[in-house]
Amino acid sequence: MASPLEQFVNNVRTISASGNFRELCEIISKSDEVLQRNGAHLNTVLETLDIQQHSLGVLAVLVAKFSLPQSSNDVDRSTMFQQICDFISNCNGEQVRFCPELYADLCHLLTDHLVELKQPIRGIEILKKAIRKIQLFDSQLTSIHADLCQLCLLSKCMKPALEFLDTDVTGIGTELGGNNDSKHFLLYYYYGGMIYAALKNYERALYFFEVVVTVPAMVVSHIMLEAYKKYILVSLILHGKILQMPKYTSQVVCRFLKPLSVAYHDLARSQHAAVKHRETFLRDKNMGLVNQVINSMYKKNIQRLTKTFLTLSLSDVASRVQLSGPVEAESYILNMIEEGEIYAMINQKDGMVVFLDSPEKYASPETLCVLEQQMAACTKLHQYIQEMDEQIQVNPQYVKKSVGCHDEDMPATSQNSKTTYTM
Amino acid sequence: MFDLNTAEPMQVDVPLEDNENNETECYVVENPTLDLETYAASYTGFAKLYRLTFVADHCPSLRLEALKMAISYVMTTYNVSLYQSLHKKLAEAIATSGLPDVAVQMGSQDIPVLDSMWVESKTKKAAIKLEKLDTDLKNYKTNSIKESIRRGHDDLGDHYLDCGDLTSALKCYSRARDYCTSGKHVIMMCLNVVKVSVYLQNWAHVLNYVSKAESTPDFHEIPGKDSNQAVLTRLKCAAGLAELATKKYKSAAKHFLGASIDHCDYPELLSSNNVAVYGGLCALATFDRSELQKQVIVSSSFKLFLELEPQLRDIIFKFYESKYASCLRLLDEIRDNLLLDMYLAPHLNCLYMQIRNRALIQYFSPYLSADMRLMAAAFNRTVNALEDELMQLILDGQIQARIDSHNKILYAKDVDQRSTTFEKSLGMGKEYQRRTSMLILRAAMIKNQIHVKNTGRDTGPQGGEAPGSSTSLNRAFDTVPL
Repeated sequence: MASPLEQFVNNVRTISASGNFRELCEIISKSDEVLQRNGAHLNTVLETLDIQQHSLGVLAVLVAKFSLPQSSNDVDRSTMFQQICDFISNCNGEQVRFCPELYADLCHLLTDHLVELKQPIRGIEILKKAIRKIQLFDSQLTSIHADLCQLCLLSKCMKPALEFLDTDVTGIGTELGGNNDSKHFLLYYYYGGMIYAALKNYERALYFFEVVVTVPAMVVSHIMLEAYKKYILVSLILHGKILQMPKYTSQVVCRFLKPLSVAYHDLARSQHAAVKHRETFLRDKNMGLVNQVINSMYKKNIQRLTKTFLTLSLSDVASRVQLSGPVEAESYILNMIEEGEIYAMINQKDGMVVFLDSPEKYASPETLCVLEQQMAACTKLHQYIQEMDEQIQVNPQYVKKSVGCHDEDMPATSQNSKTTYTM
Repeated sequence: MFDLNTAEPMQVDVPLEDNENNETECYVVENPTLDLETYAASYTGFAKLYRLTFVADHCPSLRLEALKMAISYVMTTYNVSLYQSLHKKLAEAIATSGLPDVAVQMGSQDIPVLDSMWVESKTKKAAIKLEKLDTDLKNYKTNSIKESIRRGHDDLGDHYLDCGDLTSALKCYSRARDYCTSGKHVIMMCLNVVKVSVYLQNWAHVLNYVSKAESTPDFHEIPGKDSNQAVLTRLKCAAGLAELATKKYKSAAKHFLGASIDHCDYPELLSSNNVAVYGGLCALATFDRSELQKQVIVSSSFKLFLELEPQLRDIIFKFYESKYASCLRLLDEIRDNLLLDMYLAPHLNCLYMQIRNRALIQYFSPYLSADMRLMAAAFNRTVNALEDELMQLILDGQIQARIDSHNKILYAKDVDQRSTTFEKSLGMGKEYQRRTSMLILRAAMIKNQIHVKNTGRDTGPQGGEAPGSSTSLNRAFDTVPL
C-alpha cells in the first residue's frame, strides 16, 4: 500500500495526463492535510513533478510548504522567492485557472514573506506577471491586485501599480467573491486610493475610497473605517466639503462610520480641528492629508475670491482668506498662478491683485481633441452597459422569471407557468 | 459643546435643537409702540392668550400689563392650568421688576392675586360639564342619531379646548368626522381641526385638513355666498400661517393674498392686520417686480388690507419705486413691533434678509457698472459691509457681477455662454463616466456576491487573521464587531 503522499503524486500525474483538471482540483483540496503533515518530504515530491505539466500539483505542494508555521525547520525559506518566481513564470496558466484560490494564496504567501523581509520592491515585477497570467481579460480584478498595491505602497514605488489601477474593473475573479471574505477586495481599493492620493490624483483616490465604503455590508470593516476617514479628507481637498454618500451605501455603514470619525467631521467645519484633534490624526497617520486639506482650504477661498472680485489688495485677500498677512497671501497667489489654478496678476507697486478670466476659450484643436476623447469614452461605456443589459435579457433565469410574472397576471395559463414562477 | 459630542455621539442632534429654541426665545424688545389694548381686542380664545404671553415673554415694559390682561381673560374660561402658570409668571415678573415698593402698592390695588377659590370651583364645574357632555354623547350613541353624535363630539371638543386640553380637543373634533352627513359638516370639522392644529403648531396637519376642506365636493355650492367666502378666507389664512411657519414664504404670500377683507373674521387665529403684514412681508421677500405689481400693488382686495397697515403700504410702495434707503429705514422702524408677533418673529430676520437681497439685486439689475459708494449710501451701509453682502450674493449666483475693490466699482459680468456650456458638458461627461464605471463595478460586485460579513474570526482558513494581514499601517484589518 502506497503512502498517502505517494498516492497524491500518482493521482496528480495520472489525472494531469488525462486532462481532467476539475477532478484534480477536488483531490487537491482534500489532500491539504496530507501535504501539511509530510512537510519534510515536500521537496522530494516537487522534484518528481514537472511545473509545466503538473502545474496544479506543484501549486498545491508549494502552498502547503510555505504555509507551514515558521518554527518548523523542514522548510528552507531562503529559496522561497526563487521557487515561487520559477513557478509563476513557467506554470501552465490554463491549468492554474482551475484553482485560482490556491494560486492567489501562493501570491499572498509571497507578499507576506517579502513584507517580513522588508524587501517589498522585489515582488512587484513577479506579481505583475502573476496577475497577467491568471487574468481572463485586462479589466478583471483578482485578489493578487491587492498584494501588488501593498508592495508598491511599502516600497514607495507607485508607478507599476498604475497600469492596473487605471483600468476600470468590469469583472471580478471568482476567488474574491462567493463565500470568501471581502478583505482583498476592500484592500485593493483602499491601497489603490492611497496610491492615487500619494500621486495627488485626488479624483481617482476619491473614487477608490468611495468604492470601499459602498461595498454592501452587514458589518463594518476596519478597512472601511480607515477608507472613510481618507474619503472625508480627500473630499475636503477636492471639493472643500464632505460629499454625500451615495444612496446605496449600506445602512450599517452610515450608522457606524460617522460617530467613529468625529474628528474628521470637525475638520470640515473649522480648521482649528486640525490642532485640536492632532493626536487622532497622528495616530491614524493621516496628518499629511490633513495638512493638505488646510492648504487646499486657503486655495479654495482664494479661488472663490476670483469669482467675485476684479481687483483686491493683498492685505484684503489675507484678511478674507484668514492668512497671516499680505506676504503669505502673495506667496499663495503666486504659487496658484504658476500652477494654473487661478488667473491673476499681482501689481507690487500698490499691492493689488487683478483677477483675470480663464484664458481657455474652448476653441483650440487640443480642447476639441479632449472633448472628442471624452465623448468616445462615454459612448464606450454606454455600449458596455447596453451589452450588459442584453446579457441579462437573454439570461434564462431572467427570462423565466419575467415570463412567470406575466403569467401570474393572466390566470388562464396552464400549470407550466407556476413551476417556472416558483423557480 | 464639542467635548460632549465626542463623548456621546448619538446625542449630537439633541443639543442642536435646544440651541435653536434658545435663539428664538432669548431676544428682548425694548421700545415697542404697541397699543396692547387694541392688539388684544382683535383676538379671542387661545390666540389672545398665546399672543399676550408671547408679548410678556419678550417685552419687559409690557410684561405686567400683558399678563394682567391674559389673566383677566383666562378667568372667563375653564383653563385652570394656564391660569396658574400665568400667575406664576406674574409673580416672577413682579419679583424681577426691581421695584418692590411699587409692586406691593400696586398689588393691593391693581395686580390680581391667585384666587384659589376660583381655581377649585372652576375645576369642579369643568368636571361636571365634562361628565354631562360625556353622558349626553353616550345617549346619542345608543340612539345612534348621526347628527347628534357629531354635535356631541363637537361640544366635547369645544369644552376640552375651553379647558386647555388641546390634544383631547383635537381627538374629539377628528372623531366627529365619521358622523358628518353633508359637505358643510365636513368643512366645519376641518375648520375645527385646523384651528386646534394651529394652536398645537402641527403645521403638516393644518395643510392636510385645509386641502381636505377645499376638496370637499360641494365646497363651492354651499348656500349663501358670503359664508362660503368666509370659510375660504379662513382656510387661506390657516394655510398661509402653516406655510409661513415651515418657511415656504412664497406660497405663504400667495395664500394670504387670496384672503378677502370683507370676510376676514377669524379672531381665533389672526386679525386682518396680521394678514396684511404677513402677506405683505412674504410677498416683498419672494415676489419679483412684476408679481409684486400685479398681485400686491394693484390688487383690489389686498389693497384694502394694506390700508390697515399704512406703514407697510408705504414700505411696499417705496420698494417698488426703488427708494430703497427709505424703504429699509421704515422696515427697521416697524421691526420692534413685528418681533412681538409670535408667528412672524422667528422668521423676521430671514425675511428682512431676503428683502434686502432682493433690493440689492434690483438696484443693480439695470447697470453695467455701479459705484459702490453711491450704492452704499442708498442702502445705509458702509462700503465694506456692502462689499461683503455683494460677495455673498455673487457666490450664490444671484448677481452676475464682479467687484473692483480698488476703485470700489461693481461691474456686471458678461457670461460667455459658449465657454460655460463647454465647461458644463465636460464636467457632465466626467461625472457620467465616474458613475457608470461605478455602476459596472457594482454590478460585478453583486454578481460575485461580494459583501462584508462577519466570517473571518471563527471559520476562516482564508480569514483575516494571518500575521501578514497587518498592513503598512500596522493595523489588523478584520471585521469590527460593532
